[in-house]
Amino acid sequence: MSLRTSSVAPKHKDDKWGLLYVSPFFVIFGIFGLLPILFTVYVSFFHWDPLAGHNYIGFENFRHLFTDPYFYRAVRNTFSIFLISFLPQTILALLLANFLANPNLKGKVFWRTVLLVPWVTSILSVAIIFSELFGQNYGMVNVAMRYLGLSHIGIHNINWVGQTLPSHIAIASMIIYRNLGYTSLIYLASMLAIPRDLYESASLDGASKLQQFRYVTIPQLKNTLTFMLIVGTIGGLQTFLEPLTYGGVQGGDSRQFSTLALYLYEQIIINNKLGYAAAIGVAITILTVIISGVNFLVTRRISGSDS
Amino acid sequence: MARAKLGKYWVAAIALFAVLGGVVSPSSQAAAPITISIWTYGNVIDPVLVTQYQKLHPGITIVAKKSDLDGNAQALRYALPSSAVPDIAAIEISYMGEFRNYTQYLTDLSTLTPSATTLKSSYLPWRWNDMVADSGQVLGIPTDVGGLAVAYRVDLFKKAGLPTAPAAVSALWPTWDKYIATGQKYVAKEKGKAFIDIAQTIYTAVVNQGAQKYYDNSGNLVYANNPNIQAAFNYTAAASRANLGTNVAQYSPDWNVGLNKGLYATVLAPAWMLEYIKQYAPKTSGLWNVATLPGNAGNQGGSALTIPTHAAHPQEAWDFIRWYTDAAQQKFEFVHNLTFPTVTALYTDPAVGGLKDPFFNNAPIGKIYSASVNAVQPFELGKKDRLIDSTIGQALSRVQLGKQLPQAAWAQALSDINRAIN
Repeated sequence: MSLRTSSVAPKHKDDKWGLLYVSPFFVIFGIFGLLPILFTVYVSFFHWDPLAGHNYIGFENFRHLFTDPYFYRAVRNTFSIFLISFLPQTILALLLANFLANPNLKGKVFWRTVLLVPWVTSILSVAIIFSELFGQNYGMVNVAMRYLGLSHIGIHNINWVGQTLPSHIAIASMIIYRNLGYTSLIYLASMLAIPRDLYESASLDGASKLQQFRYVTIPQLKNTLTFMLIVGTIGGLQTFLEPLTYGGVQGGDSRQFSTLALYLYEQIIINNKLGYAAAIGVAITILTVIISGVNFLVTRRISGSDS
Repeated sequence: MARAKLGKYWVAAIALFAVLGGVVSPSSQAAAPITISIWTYGNVIDPVLVTQYQKLHPGITIVAKKSDLDGNAQALRYALPSSAVPDIAAIEISYMGEFRNYTQYLTDLSTLTPSATTLKSSYLPWRWNDMVADSGQVLGIPTDVGGLAVAYRVDLFKKAGLPTAPAAVSALWPTWDKYIATGQKYVAKEKGKAFIDIAQTIYTAVVNQGAQKYYDNSGNLVYANNPNIQAAFNYTAAASRANLGTNVAQYSPDWNVGLNKGLYATVLAPAWMLEYIKQYAPKTSGLWNVATLPGNAGNQGGSALTIPTHAAHPQEAWDFIRWYTDAAQQKFEFVHNLTFPTVTALYTDPAVGGLKDPFFNNAPIGKIYSASVNAVQPFELGKKDRLIDSTIGQALSRVQLGKQLPQAAWAQALSDINRAIN
């Protein structure tokens, strides 16, 4: 940067150029981000069929939404799948990252690459393969359980699609499989940034590896954990392709794994109700904002009390 | 910084497109070659036949975009009112009741030259009429029809002490009651095996044997009081409650394994399903045979080709459709893909009506499927056929899994349909 104080060019001329440089982002965001959001809100006030046309119905879609038991079931499923996937995923990722952060580990690059392989697989292929694993009669999971002798304690031939909790576990396992490596690497990156002298002084004080993990690593990762929680919640609210591939657009015969995004899609593709789908979209947005806000407040309070 | 850089690339990319557009568009207008675009799904458009057509008509290129059945219909809903339409759109029978209400978006093929009305006499009458709008416009030409018969495992029937010859097997079940009774005998004897792959497939089979489905001829919803729908539901529920079928979903990997392992003694099979069995259970060759459906008449599925009103090349599209749905090509498709023809003259053609398949113990499949589609009574298609089909399908699945008793499942299906439609 050259500071030419002698220049007579007024300051706001530079501003103009700056605006021009950043404008592509705003233009593109406006067209592909903001406009669709505003249009979705607009559509949610209509009864809208792409072929038959549309007519204004005010808040009718939202009134319907609040009394729609299947909407609430989709909310329940979305959060249940999120919790079943997010908690184990976080624990596993922390353990894996801790293992990889070990300075004496051989073949670091190899392990990191291997971890990332599921992340580059498409969700679709993951979902197809997992549907195969969770088949009722010939799926590998049920066969493995048979060999492990779980049938003696009453667990046998689980219908992983038909029942609520098993279907949530199956879908959560797809999400964990795909996200685990990526999540671990993010934790690993922040673990490597923790100053080594913290560990040295901890071990001088006689802290075990476990205590070091608990009292040095975890507190130092607080910001990363917060970030992953917010990103994870937003991702969890959008769970879509896994349940769709797993058991169809209605999310099972009792909607046992119909998520919010899937319910929205069903309104479009089967029920042909774009206005209602838009109303669900607005509801998802509001939910996301509320939950992110709560996350933000909670974590700010925690970090505030710490410092 | 990264964002500013990205912005530069955007500007460059947009400029590049502008330049390319300027260079390309005049040249494509000047040249004679025409590209016919087709939106399709499944096996409706056979790539071998497409190559053949392009060879016969140099200067015509055919580009087929394949999606799944529901995705294809959804894309069409949005595209039809706009100008971004394909020249040809394939529409499945369960969506035709919806699309044929929009005659403003689909070309009346009888106004083209030669008029579609000159072709009418060649096609299966009820299948042709499915493609005609209430106000008389001919909106599509049917490429195939499902038909329906019972594919059964000769070896499993023998083991269970049942007759194995097709005529004797067909005689076991002149009615659905008899079919279910046979199934009960079978599962009582063969523990852990299924008589039918999926009991819920009985529903569609019985529904399509009626003279009325979900709508009456004036377009009113009558499914709730239609005795045939009720009968279809009850037969299916009875088969489920008697444990004749398995809990898996059709076409799922688990279902495929069952097909290979001989878990199912019978499968209700449209003609194209036979091809599926051949492809996914090749080792079971020679173990199958085909008997007639209880009640004989049967259909499941079928597709047609239409031309959107805003198509860029309607005449060329029409030339292709006429060629593609002509007897010679339909014959080729039946012999190669087992999609059953809609041209009735083929039913007596030795290559079609006389077709026997060694995979199915030389069952006279041509004859069986001809008889089944000829016996179908025409019924009115409706706007929400697909939605009602899938909602009742969910209810039947709940009965199959023992989550609900039939009556409760039916009641919930009615209220679900009400909620979804209104």
